[in-house]
Amino acid sequence: MSQKQHQQEKQEQLPQILVLGPPLVYKNHEHEFAKRFQILKPWESSLPIHLFLSTYCGSIQAVLTSGLFKITADGVLCHLPSLRLIVTTSVGLNHINLHECRRRGIIIANAAGVSSEDVAELGVGLLINVLRKVPAGDRYVRTGIWMTNGHYPLGSKVGGKRIGIVGLGSIGCEVAKRLEAFGCRISYNSQREKPSVPYQFYSNVCELAANSDALIICCTLTDETRHMINKEVILALGKDGVIVNIARGAIIDEKEMIKCLINGEIGGAGLDVLENEPLVPSELYAMDNVVLTQHVGVHTNESVSDRFEAVVGNLEAFFSNKLLLTPVLNY
Amino acid sequence: MESIGVLMACPMNPYLEQELDKRFNLFRFWEYPSKPEFLKSHSQSIRAVVGNTFAGADAELIEALPKLEIVASFSVGLDKIDLPKCKEKGIRVTNTPDVLTEDVADLAIGLILATLRRICECDRYVRKGLWKKGDFQLTTKFSGKTVGIIGLGRIGMAIAKRAEAFRCPISYYSRSEKSDCKYKYYPSVVELASNCQILIVACPLTEETHHIINREVINALGPKGFLINIGRGPHVDEPELVSALIEGRLGGAGLDVFENEPHVPEELFKLDNVVLLPHVGSATIETRQAMADLVIGNLEAHFLKKPLLTPVFSGKSVGIVGLGRIGSAIAKRADAFGCPISYHSRSEKPNTGYKFCPSILDLASNCQILVVSCALTAETEKIIDRKVIDALGPNGILINIGRGRHVDEPELVSALLEGRLGGAGLDVFENEPEVPEQLLELKNVVLQSHVGSDTVETCKDMADLVLANLEAHFLKRPLLTPVLGDI
Repeated sequence: MSQKQHQQEKQEQLPQILVLGPPLVYKNHEHEFAKRFQILKPWESSLPIHLFLSTYCGSIQAVLTSGLFKITADGVLCHLPSLRLIVTTSVGLNHINLHECRRRGIIIANAAGVSSEDVAELGVGLLINVLRKVPAGDRYVRTGIWMTNGHYPLGSKVGGKRIGIVGLGSIGCEVAKRLEAFGCRISYNSQREKPSVPYQFYSNVCELAANSDALIICCTLTDETRHMINKEVILALGKDGVIVNIARGAIIDEKEMIKCLINGEIGGAGLDVLENEPLVPSELYAMDNVVLTQHVGVHTNESVSDRFEAVVGNLEAFFSNKLLLTPVLNY
Repeated sequence: MESIGVLMACPMNPYLEQELDKRFNLFRFWEYPSKPEFLKSHSQSIRAVVGNTFAGADAELIEALPKLEIVASFSVGLDKIDLPKCKEKGIRVTNTPDVLTEDVADLAIGLILATLRRICECDRYVRKGLWKKGDFQLTTKFSGKTVGIIGLGRIGMAIAKRAEAFRCPISYYSRSEKSDCKYKYYPSVVELASNCQILIVACPLTEETHHIINREVINALGPKGFLINIGRGPHVDEPELVSALIEGRLGGAGLDVFENEPHVPEELFKLDNVVLLPHVGSATIETRQAMADLVIGNLEAHFLKKPLLTPVFSGKSVGIVGLGRIGSAIAKRADAFGCPISYHSRSEKPNTGYKFCPSILDLASNCQILVVSCALTAETEKIIDRKVIDALGPNGILINIGRGRHVDEPELVSALLEGRLGGAGLDVFENEPEVPEQLLELKNVVLQSHVGSDTVETCKDMADLVLANLEAHFLKRPLLTPVLGDI
């Protein structure tokens, strides 16, 4: 057998996976994936996606997807009759038709816990940057205004602020841990009270807001949490209050929040996510008390690398019939 | 107190200005087009200066204000105040420590996150509408990175505490290693820079720390390293920093301070890996109010003759009678304890760095511990009399290592019994070995039996000198320590 044939045979012995997206984690580690798996890449084909899937993916058991690719029942899942595992490089599952997956008994593995620190530290960074007006200060210096004006408005102290964490999961806990070191007082709202944590629990997010100086949104987007941060909650937070969102844009009623920002009914906002990314409401551009980042919570070298390890680990476990690293239970 | 002249060096805080105006006769230095004219007309009425990080009290200003008693700084840093000059003239100095520690530490972390996670750049990108065009570049995570802190004082420790919550291993450089400290010590800044990824400047600015961040340190920090400066601009060799950033020899920088504020090197404006702030370390509403209250509190305490709230020279004030060899040696030791030193002598001695008091009454009124260390002569007999003791007062301490007859002993005893003097440490008495019995009962008095030079080493040296002088005389050689010269 020739070298090439040998290689080809070796390739063909590798387990097959379908990649959808493709996710950044895949793009940055393409060679590593190729060493371990046979990859089906719909984006390299001229066929429309449903045709590619129905033609080539009949025996596909495992899919690797980004958090943005919509895995629908009619457009995707119906063309993958042998599908048993979906590995998503995101933590969120909103892009997957969970009802259909449940019906078919498809296992889902995500990146939960893998990049909690990256997201949490961005949340803390956004809070400090809003309170201490860092991007606005940076603009002030770069545009030469400091030279001529010399008087920059005062910021607000971080320490001692009451922080309300919405959703005390892995990310919420990392946020709490960090802000405690600044002398902040932590309380939270969650689906269920967690007796093992030392923070004050509020069963109602409005009450949490009324007793906080800043809200940090760290929960998942579900039917219950969609627009959970509404006008009532925002007004309860108050005119010096700050909202930081490192979860999903749709958890906040964006239109209401913008109105409140315009009317000075809330102090400021640090937003890594928006309802209709990448569309940004232009009213936000002029606001100095708002800091905007483009969904970069997990956009670090370390996170991409850590998520690569998790994804490969899950896929390899699946193909050797071992326990998955990060399966989503009870979705 | 409305007649007391207070000079505010530059605009710094409207609330502070307003409160100073209410209580004192406030002069706003920046409102006078000719400073020399202003000083000519008003220098005699100014008893206090309020300064900050931009303008304080340099030697020139201090010399121009002969009635200056106190400089209250609206900052914790003292690099704009000529401290030796203040010590020399007995001018008290206060600053605003502790109230701003947390704000500065918070900002240091905010700068780190803004720099490493490129928050400002991202914010600019989004505002330009570029999100639609594609993904932002990958950044690097802060959590878990090694942090090196230069200066582990109040601010340095507060930064360490916060960085620890981000799982960062902490190391530091300080003038000397701190005992009981769990962080790793490096004896040089270059070594610290070689062994950390994020280097933070948090020490005071002094002659030694000027340009402590130089080319060598920057290169040691390297292309993946980050510099955060919340100290003073002159801590960093700015041109070196700029070229390192442009050439990629340094990963990035978060800067709250610059060598010549408000001038910022324009080359930095084009860089994406730097965050630039207009010296806002303590610039929060809450903290500036607390700082202003401290300034007012210190000034009021001074003029009402109460203890200062946050004095810079925190040791007790020591007054020395007789600045000869012994007096100077005492001064040097007390200085090392942070005590402001003043002295009385027959005439002023040049270049001592200590405040001269032409009258002993003056000296006693202005110190807390009065030390007698002059020679006993007809003039200095009973130099410590009732008037001096009363001037020293119920919180004052008298230390006599001179001669018993320097002190009016019955007066001293009655003052101690009546509580008119705070306490005394006495090595000598008028009629040794007799000691007034009443002193034996007192708890605020320490009595020694004339043991000033009674150490094994010194007694031997003294004996050797006596013998050597005798030998020299009888062998017709020059005396070693003649008191009266050879006639």
